[in-house]
Amino acid sequence: MNQNIPEKWKSLYDAVLEGNAAAATAAVDAAIEANESPQTLVDEYMIPAMDDVGEKFEQNEYFVPELLISARAMKAALTKIQPLLTASGSQPKGRVALGTVKGDLHDIGKNLVAAMLEGGGFEVIDLGVDVDPDKFIDTARASKVDIIAMSALLTTTMPSMKTTIEALKAAGVRDGLKIMIGGAPITQEFADEIGADAYGDNASTAVSIARSLVAS
Amino acid sequence: MPSKPAQIHLHPVAKTVAAAPGTPLADVLFPEGVEFPCGGRGRCRGCRVRVLAGTMEPGEAEQRLLSEKEIADGWRLACRHQVEGNVSLAIAQWESPILADNSTYAFERVEGLGVAVDIGTTTVVAQLVDLRNGSVLAVRAELNRQARHGSDLMSRIGASVTDAGGSALTGAIRRQVARMIGELMRAVVERDLPPVRGVVLVGNTAMHHLFGGLDAEPLSRYPFEPERSDALRWTASELRWTGLPEACPVTFLPCIGGFVGSDVLAGLLAVGFDHRTSPAAFLDLGTNGEIVAGNGDRILCASTAAGPAFEGARISMGMRAATGAITAVHQLNGKWECRVLGGGEARGICGSGLVSAVATGLDLGTILASGRLARGDTWMIQEPVSLHQCDVRELQLAKGAVAAGIELLLSALEIPCSEIETAFLAGAFGNYVSLESALRIGLFPFAGERVTPAGNTALLGAKIALHAPDPVALCNAFRKRITHVSLHADPDFQEAYVSAMRFPDPARVGA
Ligand code: B12
Ligand code: FES
Repeated sequence: MNQNIPEKWKSLYDAVLEGNAAAATAAVDAAIEANESPQTLVDEYMIPAMDDVGEKFEQNEYFVPELLISARAMKAALTKIQPLLTASGSQPKGRVALGTVKGDLHDIGKNLVAAMLEGGGFEVIDLGVDVDPDKFIDTARASKVDIIAMSALLTTTMPSMKTTIEALKAAGVRDGLKIMIGGAPITQEFADEIGADAYGDNASTAVSIARSLVAS
Repeated sequence: MPSKPAQIHLHPVAKTVAAAPGTPLADVLFPEGVEFPCGGRGRCRGCRVRVLAGTMEPGEAEQRLLSEKEIADGWRLACRHQVEGNVSLAIAQWESPILADNSTYAFERVEGLGVAVDIGTTTVVAQLVDLRNGSVLAVRAELNRQARHGSDLMSRIGASVTDAGGSALTGAIRRQVARMIGELMRAVVERDLPPVRGVVLVGNTAMHHLFGGLDAEPLSRYPFEPERSDALRWTASELRWTGLPEACPVTFLPCIGGFVGSDVLAGLLAVGFDHRTSPAAFLDLGTNGEIVAGNGDRILCASTAAGPAFEGARISMGMRAATGAITAVHQLNGKWECRVLGGGEARGICGSGLVSAVATGLDLGTILASGRLARGDTWMIQEPVSLHQCDVRELQLAKGAVAAGIELLLSALEIPCSEIETAFLAGAFGNYVSLESALRIGLFPFAGERVTPAGNTALLGAKIALHAPDPVALCNAFRKRITHVSLHADPDFQEAYVSAMRFPDPARVGA
């Protein structure tokens, strides 16, 4: 857990950790009023708060509902800050295109991954469910994407991940990208087998993995 | 002094089982296919047995639920007794296909015998029925032999699309059913019985496809539309099933839609859903939770894919309801007490035990409404069986899916759950899980007194169909009135699901 959150806007950190969207936006308003830098709010309070939410989730203290309400508080605060960030020319940590693979419709896990990545400072392009390999390819071509992230919840749709990776290779866009996969039936062995760069067991590790993928 | 096992003779199937004195009679009869609709709590009369030889003293529950005449005639509630000495018992459930005493379904007397088979993903149950009086002549229950190719439905569908996988699965289940029917015929002691005039099979859509040798690939991916959902028909000779008249029709009843099969359709017929004019619901909970809700006019159904938690799978110390399984955890003066199947040492916990443990944990404060264990990450419930935080989470995922599914179907019908007059709880889960526990964890939103445990309605419905002049016509007429809803298409699912993952506050239980 983060011990060294500066006292100044700790109420923002607390509001995100507890999933209190109203308190989070109020804290942002007060900070902006006091001329605090929006980047500082994100880097020193909000991202640490979401990291701690993720840690609590990994340790089973938080579950899906808690994760989701914290993510909502984060999002509410971020919506206020985003225009200021854009105006100041700040860059996201990386850009991730995320989707549930072809044939599959389970999207709750994927949505949590998206929320955590956003909370971790990434820009997320959510491609939705039943995503065709071509759509991943088109997105990789059109937007400067650092990471392609895929989710599958059915043992019968796991092969779609392999098909997608092969299609990305065939289209010649695989090399500039990192690929991470996840979902309840997925394992590290499967990720290795199909040539994905990383596997993440939950929405919190998705963030740390994405960070190491863009750093490498 | 070690006590000698007692002999329990079962009528009318002519089978004898041995059991140690002191064993709950329910533990002896359940493996034989006898059901305990209210979970064996002396509430429903469903487990009536008649003592033909030997003695069983009537107790409080019998005074309450049975008439004086019934008691004098030897009727007892099996769930209220332990094995004492040698007895000979007639099982009420096997005498007539009508489970609920107030069922409006009258069956026609038909000359001949019939075989009803319920092909579950996990178990296969077959009964030989005398259609002249509805009595059951023999019962067989086994694990589905296809399980070797994957325990859950999706892995089985996955296996079927590999080379030769489909024919292996089809062959396995057809051979198993043929053998079970052979055993049913040989188990009958009576002579001069009329020939079998029909075999009716029910099961979910995947079982329908795999038995029928249809391509199950479309069930493996979006939009999950079955290749065919109509009835499948053969004659015994076409299937090369010996021991039955050659022309004997073998019919797999039609599916409702999506993954919801004829097991649910038959179940609905069994509880008289087709005749209802007031709002009612029907739940069949297993790995694949199926939900049906009707407002007396429209009927909607959906599958909720709860996951295997209710069957004890994916639980750290989970197991099937077999000897050594903790089946219930009761609260006792701020402490708790476990019931272990077979009475010996605890080896693990089954689905009903999990639900019951969590319900008790919530009452004791060892589990918080958020699902968090209050003290540490494990709760030792009885050496060496403990419940882990991740087990509670697994149950939250499963029960949330069921509760959310019910909520969305009811809102699509525009009726509040308080208007549901009867909620039928079908299947093995409804048989063994305690209603209080299910309500305590917020599995369904109905008031306890409106929930009716209904037992194996799939098999019962198959038997009703056997009595019908044309089983397929009966099903098709009813099936037209039911609309299948795909929950994934509902934008409100996530919200409903996530809020249903929490456990209700004590004050709101069953409200
Ligand atoms: C909710 C649910 C549904 C919902 C989906 C709603 C939605 N919008 O997503 C509904 C009811 C629609 C549904 C439908 C089906 N389902 Co479903 N469903 C589930 C259930 C109960 C929970 C899944 C879930 O949301 N978990 C919660 C999330 C948060 O967890 P998660 O997805 O695993 O994600 C986490 C991690 O895996 C990871 N992660 C996920 N993605 C990614 C990606 C990356 C890149 C990374 C790093 C990490 C990561 O992070 C997440 C958070 O930590 C599971 C059973 C269970 N108990 O798990 C079955 C389950 C997945 N379903 C199953 C099935 C079979 C189906 C159906 C195909 C058939 C059916 N029985 O109805 C249908 C689809 C057909 C249809 N007509 O709709 C099966 C799959 C079995 C198998 N062997 O493949 C399961 C396991 C249930 C079972 N029967 O055993 N389902
Ligand atoms: S009365 Fe015995 S099971 Fe209900």
